[in-house]
Amino acid sequence: MNRSKIINCWDFRQCAHGPGSTDPCPVVDDVASDGVNSGKNAGRICWTVSNTPCFNNDANSFPQKRKICVSCSFYHRVKREEGEGFQYFKIAQGVQEAEALHTTISQMEHLIDINNRLNSGFDLYETIGEITEEARKVTGSQRSIVFLVKGDPPVLQGEFKLRGKKTLVSIPIDENSAVGYSASTNRIVSLGDIHKKVNAGSGPVFNKSFDAQCNCNTHSLIAVPVQDSEKRNIGVITAVNAKKGFFSADDEWFMCTYANQVALAVEKQKFLQQSISALRLASIGETVAGLSHCIKNIAHALRGSSYIIKRAIDTNNVRDIGAAWEILDRHIENLANLSLDVLSYNPETQEGMKEKSLNGLVKHTIELFQEEAKARAIRLNMEAGENVDPCLFDARGIYRCLINLITNAFDSCPLSEGSVTVSTRRVGEKTLMISVSDNGRGMDENTRAEVFGLFETSNPASGSGLGLPTVADIVKKHNGRIELDTSPGKGTTFRLIIDEL
Amino acid sequence: MPAKARILVVEDNMDEAKLVKMALEPEGYEVITTANGKQAQEHISKEALDLIVLDVMMPEMDGFAFCSWLKKNKEYENIPVILLTGVGEHIYDSKYPLKGVMHADADEYLEKPVKPEDLLDTISKLLK
Repeated sequence: MNRSKIINCWDFRQCAHGPGSTDPCPVVDDVASDGVNSGKNAGRICWTVSNTPCFNNDANSFPQKRKICVSCSFYHRVKREEGEGFQYFKIAQGVQEAEALHTTISQMEHLIDINNRLNSGFDLYETIGEITEEARKVTGSQRSIVFLVKGDPPVLQGEFKLRGKKTLVSIPIDENSAVGYSASTNRIVSLGDIHKKVNAGSGPVFNKSFDAQCNCNTHSLIAVPVQDSEKRNIGVITAVNAKKGFFSADDEWFMCTYANQVALAVEKQKFLQQSISALRLASIGETVAGLSHCIKNIAHALRGSSYIIKRAIDTNNVRDIGAAWEILDRHIENLANLSLDVLSYNPETQEGMKEKSLNGLVKHTIELFQEEAKARAIRLNMEAGENVDPCLFDARGIYRCLINLITNAFDSCPLSEGSVTVSTRRVGEKTLMISVSDNGRGMDENTRAEVFGLFETSNPASGSGLGLPTVADIVKKHNGRIELDTSPGKGTTFRLIIDEL
Repeated sequence: MPAKARILVVEDNMDEAKLVKMALEPEGYEVITTANGKQAQEHISKEALDLIVLDVMMPEMDGFAFCSWLKKNKEYENIPVILLTGVGEHIYDSKYPLKGVMHADADEYLEKPVKPEDLLDTISKLLK
């Protein structure tokens, strides 16, 4: 490389804070970085230095700068000029094999990717697929498989794709195989040059059936136990290599990190499932609470009228008997209708039922909430769209969405003059829209982002019992999306846009 | 009884209003009914009242809102109020966090389904 062409950031950017200026940039004085990427001090690794005055950005610590700096043309110039020797991270002096460490650290980017995926739309098997793909790339291995403890009696079940076809592998949890050994002892197993080794008689052994089952030709294998938050074994992540040699200490470290990612993914899924069943209970609870209000009112009227009738009989007051009897009769009828409604129209009792009338479902749900709406001084209206029916959808799921959204809307309504409107509309040949609007307190930008984030991350941990992750889950099943219109004091509208099933 | 005590029943459900009226009138009370807090506000200036039986959950102006308006009003604060409600605790928690304060405003509180005997007992206790 021709040193005369090497320029530092202050020259490139014609910076006023370069060497010799009255107010030099911290990059200029970063003696520790001298020579990195062939620069003077940190002149060619300036993106790692905090509080640089470039881009008029005051708050520019390394993480904050990172995005700005990687789009800077100077950064790209250095990267181009340095080629394979390019250093993205600043490495402390005295670190041995700085280059190897550097490679390892830059692979962190892969972990960041996985982490991002863990926090976005979530599907356990998709996420595990991504983790094993990264593990395979990073360790340079032929195949990486995650085995999870499943079934009764428990076995290790793994899944991998072979020429696009899903293949399932099952391995017993015992010490007859390296993978089983790792799970049963909760220890890392790393076997190198398997075919050369003579079985020493103790410790983990390679079971040749693994190659047959997993369609590989293993020379070295690493198996790292996956542990849940209470350190119980819930599976094993493996990487196998057809090449001679060993997995390195770095590989082992990476595999441990991937094992943690798998554990997080499994726990996240477990948590999502638990929260969904909790929300299912909560929605039944809401229904029952709504009903109990109905029933109390009916009981109140029954008690009142039976008192009047009894007294009227005692005093031989025929007029009162007639009037109270009429009321009694009407409320007995209400009670009968109510129980019929609940029995005949509770989608909770009909697993995966596909409904032909969305308007019908909305109408029934609204009727169920009408009593509570009245009790809370809220006008609950329905605007039924034309050409909505017939249509196909998961009635149980959409029913739950409606319960969640209507309950939320009720909770944000003002003490008086509250109003909630549920409307349906056909917005495409196979696309429907359900919206729930209230005239309540609305949300500011932060709350809005938080609530909307709930849908996007489907992270019930940050939820507040709103049931929004459930709604998101159901909408996702319909290939749909959720829109949210809100501002403080102006009410809130949730729109579910779903595809028919 | 020197004069008939005049009781205002604020209740949006016609059946329930009628039942209360039928239960109270034979006991010697004069009963007037209105369907919500707003109507009750309008009525209260028209004639003197001895007691108010108030449903909590009503459209327009609900029982809590009416009760707290009433008790803040020097002219009417001494009129005893009995709150009737059929609502479960869960609604108070989400919508009426100041439940204790609200209830303290009313003189008595009966949860539906109310026994007419209890209502009569409460009324005569408050009118003493």
